[in-house]
Amino acid sequence: MPILAYIDPGSGSMLLQVLLAGVLAVPFFFRRVISDGWHRIRGNRDDATRSEGGEDATSDR
Amino acid sequence: MVDPASFRDPSGFVFRRDGVLYRQVQAFGAADWAAFTSTGLYGRLAADRLIVEHHEASVELAALPDAVAVIRPRVIETISHPYEWSFSQLKEAALLTLELQSRALDVGMRLKDASAYNVQLDAGRPILIDSLSFELAAPTEPWPAYRQFCEHFLAPLALIAHRDPRCGLMLREFIDGIPLDLAARLLPGRTRFNLGISAHIHLHAGAQRRAANEPPPAADTGKRERRISETGQRALLDSLRRTVEGLRWQPSSHWSEYASTTSYSDAATSSKGEIVREMLVTVGGRTAWDVGADTGVYSAIAADAGYNVIAWDQDAASVDAHWRRVRGDGKPAILPLILDLANPSPAIGWALEERASFLERGEPDVILALALVHHLAIGNNVPLPGVARLFARMAPHAIVEFVPKEDPMTRRLLAARRDIFERYTVDGFREAFGGPFRIVREAPVTDSPRTLFLLERR
Repeated sequence: MPILAYIDPGSGSMLLQVLLAGVLAVPFFFRRVISDGWHRIRGNRDDATRSEGGEDATSDR
Repeated sequence: MVDPASFRDPSGFVFRRDGVLYRQVQAFGAADWAAFTSTGLYGRLAADRLIVEHHEASVELAALPDAVAVIRPRVIETISHPYEWSFSQLKEAALLTLELQSRALDVGMRLKDASAYNVQLDAGRPILIDSLSFELAAPTEPWPAYRQFCEHFLAPLALIAHRDPRCGLMLREFIDGIPLDLAARLLPGRTRFNLGISAHIHLHAGAQRRAANEPPPAADTGKRERRISETGQRALLDSLRRTVEGLRWQPSSHWSEYASTTSYSDAATSSKGEIVREMLVTVGGRTAWDVGADTGVYSAIAADAGYNVIAWDQDAASVDAHWRRVRGDGKPAILPLILDLANPSPAIGWALEERASFLERGEPDVILALALVHHLAIGNNVPLPGVARLFARMAPHAIVEFVPKEDPMTRRLLAARRDIFERYTVDGFREAFGGPFRIVREAPVTDSPRTLFLLERR
């Protein structure tokens, strides 16, 4: 399906994403696996399936 | 009645009818709109207060043809713009945007743009106001809003954190975000050692430059389809999140120490606080603008007296400290924002109608101008009648503190210059402000040469 973007994505930006996604995917995957595994060991099944840790916008600071 | 800023999205637009705000969904955006609710995405975001809630309205109310739905969103009373936000406010808005994109990906959708103007500050937190931000999309497509996110959020945040907080004002000049090549040039070289900034700003700027130098595609080539893995899509988003979270700004400015270094004695401080409180009660209003609010001591007094307060100050550090404090104290009635009253936010954008100027943002019931007029009249050479006229344009009531030449703060302003301010006296003040206003009450502050005035617009 061709990309029909609402705003101008910038062809340079799209190309960069392909590059970065390729580079970042592997360490991200392993970080995820390790994090999920660690949470499972500690019995936090819910944490294991949420997106990776760190503050999200809903937490109260 | 169509909102002058709401014209770029073929999926819909915002309009007013009989003073009520509506959003119209066009046929073009029907599928995305249906999915937004059927996937439960809207429900979850509204429940978590990440998006403004809306009510369904009758399609009959549509302002233009081709409508498939009309909704009535909850109105955010105070509109503020990204160039008026402090570092922490912009950072929270950025993290909200990334969280929204993450949740959209969970259900096969995505944010179609990442404009900072889609976010407003509401009761102490950022919230999405553009209900039509989401579209159906395959997760293997690179995110079209990536560029916009980097220019609206990442670039200004990095510049504020690594260069100077005043860089945030650049968003006023660059209405679609700070161009990455400019941000890359202005950032210190050491930011290249930060993986996130290196990738999303420096490399990104390079990629844009390279693409710009490529010849245009031949007429018969279809649009190029680039693909990334789903994991790659998530990894990219995660990288942006970590980069934003890693940006921190700890300011030190002489203004945030102001509260502890002024010339006030304890008696003077409590006298001033009490008089201000009494005057606010006399006015009996609902909204107040505290101009030159610094870290918000008097904004808090107004909030305690039942007011919703916008606390304007030109010092980014004070505004940021104030914001972080009111968030922590859970005082959602106060919204701190950055503004220089001597050069306030102008109207900008297409036809100079897209983003309203400071004076078009609505009228509060009362403005507080404490420890301010000497900066305007002496520091900025604005004659008192001019100050009075501006205040009268801003609100029907004003609580103004006259800081005479005998006061140490004014003496400091006059220290290195010729005193050309003959009419800068209490009599001069009464004469200047007595024109557009009626002086309801005049109260000297105990143990201080200053006088507080309660003024009512004629």
